[in-house]
Amino acid sequence: MSIIIDGLKYLAYILIFPGFLFCFLSGLLLCGIDRKLVARMQKRVGPPILQPFYDFFKLLGKETIVPVTANRTVFLIAPLVGLAAQVVLQLFIPVFSFNAFHGVADVIVILYLLLIPALSVILGAASSGSPYSGVGLSREMVTILAVELPLVLVLLSVAKVVGNAMGTGLCFSLTDIVNYQLTHGSLITKLSMIPAAAAMLLIIPGETGSHPFDAAEAETEICEGMLAEYSGKPLAVYKLSHAVKLLTMTTLFVALFLGGIGGGIERAMMTSAIGGAFCFLIEILILFLLCVCLVAVCISFVHAVTARLRIEQLFKYYWTVVTGLALISLVMAWYGL
Amino acid sequence: MSIQHFPICAIMAYFLGAFLIVIFGNNRALRNIIGFLATATPLCLLIGLVKPIMLGTDVIAYWMGNRVPAGGYAIGIALEVDAMGLFFGLLIATAVFVAMLYSFSYMSHDDNEPQYYTLFLMLCGGVMGFVLSGDLFNMFIMIEILTFAAVALTAFRNTANGALEAAFKYLVVGCIGSSCILAGTIMLYAQAHTLNFAQLAAFLPGKLNTATVVAYALLFIGFCTKAFIVPFHPLAADAHGAAPAPVSVLISGVLTKSGLYGIIRLTYILFRVMNLGTVQFWLVFLGSVSMFVCVTMALAQHDFKRLLAFHSISQIGYVLTAAGLATALGISSGLYHAMNHTLFKGLLFLCAGAVLHETGTTDLGKLGGLSRKMPHTTVLFLIGAFSISGVPPFNGFASKWMIYQATYQKAVESGNIGFLMATIVALVTSTLTLASFVKVTQSVFFGQLPKEYENVKEVSFGMRLAMGILALLCILTGLFPGFVTTYLTEPAARAVFGANQYINAMMGSGYAQGFGLADILPVSFEAAGIWSPISWLCLLMIMLLAVAIVAVSSKYDQVSALAKTAAAAEAAEAKAGPRYGSGALAEGKYELFFGGEESVYSQVGGDDLFWGFKHNWRHYFSFMHELHSGIVNDYALWAVIALALAMLYAMIIL
Repeated sequence: MSIIIDGLKYLAYILIFPGFLFCFLSGLLLCGIDRKLVARMQKRVGPPILQPFYDFFKLLGKETIVPVTANRTVFLIAPLVGLAAQVVLQLFIPVFSFNAFHGVADVIVILYLLLIPALSVILGAASSGSPYSGVGLSREMVTILAVELPLVLVLLSVAKVVGNAMGTGLCFSLTDIVNYQLTHGSLITKLSMIPAAAAMLLIIPGETGSHPFDAAEAETEICEGMLAEYSGKPLAVYKLSHAVKLLTMTTLFVALFLGGIGGGIERAMMTSAIGGAFCFLIEILILFLLCVCLVAVCISFVHAVTARLRIEQLFKYYWTVVTGLALISLVMAWYGL
Repeated sequence: MSIQHFPICAIMAYFLGAFLIVIFGNNRALRNIIGFLATATPLCLLIGLVKPIMLGTDVIAYWMGNRVPAGGYAIGIALEVDAMGLFFGLLIATAVFVAMLYSFSYMSHDDNEPQYYTLFLMLCGGVMGFVLSGDLFNMFIMIEILTFAAVALTAFRNTANGALEAAFKYLVVGCIGSSCILAGTIMLYAQAHTLNFAQLAAFLPGKLNTATVVAYALLFIGFCTKAFIVPFHPLAADAHGAAPAPVSVLISGVLTKSGLYGIIRLTYILFRVMNLGTVQFWLVFLGSVSMFVCVTMALAQHDFKRLLAFHSISQIGYVLTAAGLATALGISSGLYHAMNHTLFKGLLFLCAGAVLHETGTTDLGKLGGLSRKMPHTTVLFLIGAFSISGVPPFNGFASKWMIYQATYQKAVESGNIGFLMATIVALVTSTLTLASFVKVTQSVFFGQLPKEYENVKEVSFGMRLAMGILALLCILTGLFPGFVTTYLTEPAARAVFGANQYINAMMGSGYAQGFGLADILPVSFEAAGIWSPISWLCLLMIMLLAVAIVAVSSKYDQVSALAKTAAAAEAAEAKAGPRYGSGALAEGKYELFFGGEESVYSQVGGDDLFWGFKHNWRHYFSFMHELHSGIVNDYALWAVIALALAMLYAMIIL
């Protein structure tokens, strides 16, 4: 009996929260908010906030065209695998004290799981046989290379700081990292973690491929690069996984650097007589608001005020400025500051 | 037959097969049967040893002609198999078996097939003898056998461009390495008056004088040439580029493993210098340099097999780094990666061979779009590429992830920031590897199909079977990392730290303690991270099912419209002549973006997939380009310089 209940519980985690439905709704909503914010910053009216939903459903109804040069199987399956991997990744990122699956993956694994959706886009693009996709995927790969190094350094410095504090030397478990923050306050309040947080803020637009780091999908030069040959439903799936990626990266930031906020909420809720479910809803709401703030800061604002970088400028920027910030953090963490 | 005789039978099976093929080799069926039996028998024999040695921690000592040691001196020739030897033996036997299966159809169009199989089995016997041998001089003899067999096999297709040159380079530098091993052996014999491993291992730790440490440096450099560690890496590229695919599997999966085995045996059991920080630094430094230099060299390659060759050494760098950490987790993860390397690199070389077999070229600039003609090979290649790039849940990820942890843990425990650098280099190298394989995938299997390959067919079943076995092993060892560590790498790691047991098994119990060598306690380790591939895969499957149901329920793929579009496009193409870009394919794939100008005059390196990366590293790349002159004199000079440095380092620091 309990097995069935457990099974249903996990199925609910996978399909509803923090799984598929939650990712679908909040990802597309984040996308809509981002578009609206950018438009307002540029003194445009902008699309309605629900526009990504409309786009998504419209694309679902469109015809799917597979180019003659394409390998059909890979071309059609790649988007699905990418979306599935992206949503599964979301399951491993704790929402404050709530963590649906905590025994499956640690931070380093998450770093590599992040590659799978990107890789599926790359493979899908490669299989289409279009030269535009070819150029797009080469740029995407260089972007991944550029972002990977600072991201690794950020994760290593977080692991070191938490490990130091817990006396184990290093800590790779994301659950432990969040739990530590719940009792000791957010990591961003530590001096040594501020550069890492700044680096992470710069990594988010690179990972999600938004301005000015969108050389890979530059619409004006290479027709959205990797998505050039996609249409209809596969394109809708790609748009959705891109939206979920926004959510994943921002929740990852919250889990790594702002986890302490959850502790505050729980203490505040303890004093009043409101039930656990309500407290949980508040936590989700706060998480979403934090994600919106992060999107506003590091995606919309940056998008509104910058122009696209060339790919080699992008690479140089990440391997010097952002890596430098992350290195400062790592060195400070190493010497226990 | 008692299990005592299994090791010698395993070695003899290969040599016997080689001699029988010389006699009966002109009949194809007979030749194939002999080849199959000669490679299958050792595999079965070694699998039979798994239970007593891996699970029961036995060590098998076998004295030829029953010349057991008398008066504490070992005179006879001995074989000794501990868990580490068996681990490498199993790897070798598996790779050899698969390569043999592949050879049956792959080599069937070549002349001189009997000679090929003879040399092939001589090489296998040499490597197997090397890892199961119990004394230093037999190790040297086996190295000679395997080096010369490998040189001959490299130049086997001697009409091919560069084959003789590659073999010559290999011969020259390989001989420098072999001479180093001989010189080191002689120096140790002069000091210890014995060549038996067990006895040397008892004698040497208390006797680290100038002569023995120089011997250490000589042997170390000798084994490095066999493993193609930097600065010996250019040889591997040439050799792999010229050799037939199954031979590449042997060179990368088997020969380099024997070099690694030698280094680990030498450092941990013979000299027991693993606790010296300087030795650890040396190994980790060499490993990290190999990792990074070779992966960047691979990014600059335009030939499928040369690219794989550089990656091969890059992965060996991981193993060496992990092996240099001298922690249980480090050794265990290093051996795990060594195993994975044999599997995925074998698979990739076989895929390259399949492409060569069907199209006649491995030039990345000429190939393209093969996925529609060779779908099975494409899937198998992708499995191999994901494995080597460390994409979860394949096996490369499991072992690399353990290596990251091991290096980071070591850095935290020792407070040495050098090990932290190794972690970072390892993580970045992994991404660079992925980038490089994206390039291969795009250039060979996807993209546009050149006109001359319109009639390419899928390779024969025998070749696909061989690749399939390796691909299956890649997936299984990735999905069950716990199984692999418990039954294979942990016992091997225990054996690496259990030198006393090794000595006593051969020389009688209490022998090691007589030299005042302390027992090393059983080692265990706890991983800091969490990774459960099975749960992840289940989640992914459920999610994929959910996504697919949603997608299919709304008619994800409109076949009729598609067929119409494709037919219309083809008709239009037939009318309009060549489709866009295909006219430029002969020059280079991305000429389309230059507006007709020569790529050298173009500001944007559109024909280079990683221009953005390489542009920022252009000074490094031009430096490396100049360094790798391709002249054998230079490489020999590097070998001599490396030897001199190693000897200096050993004399000053040890």
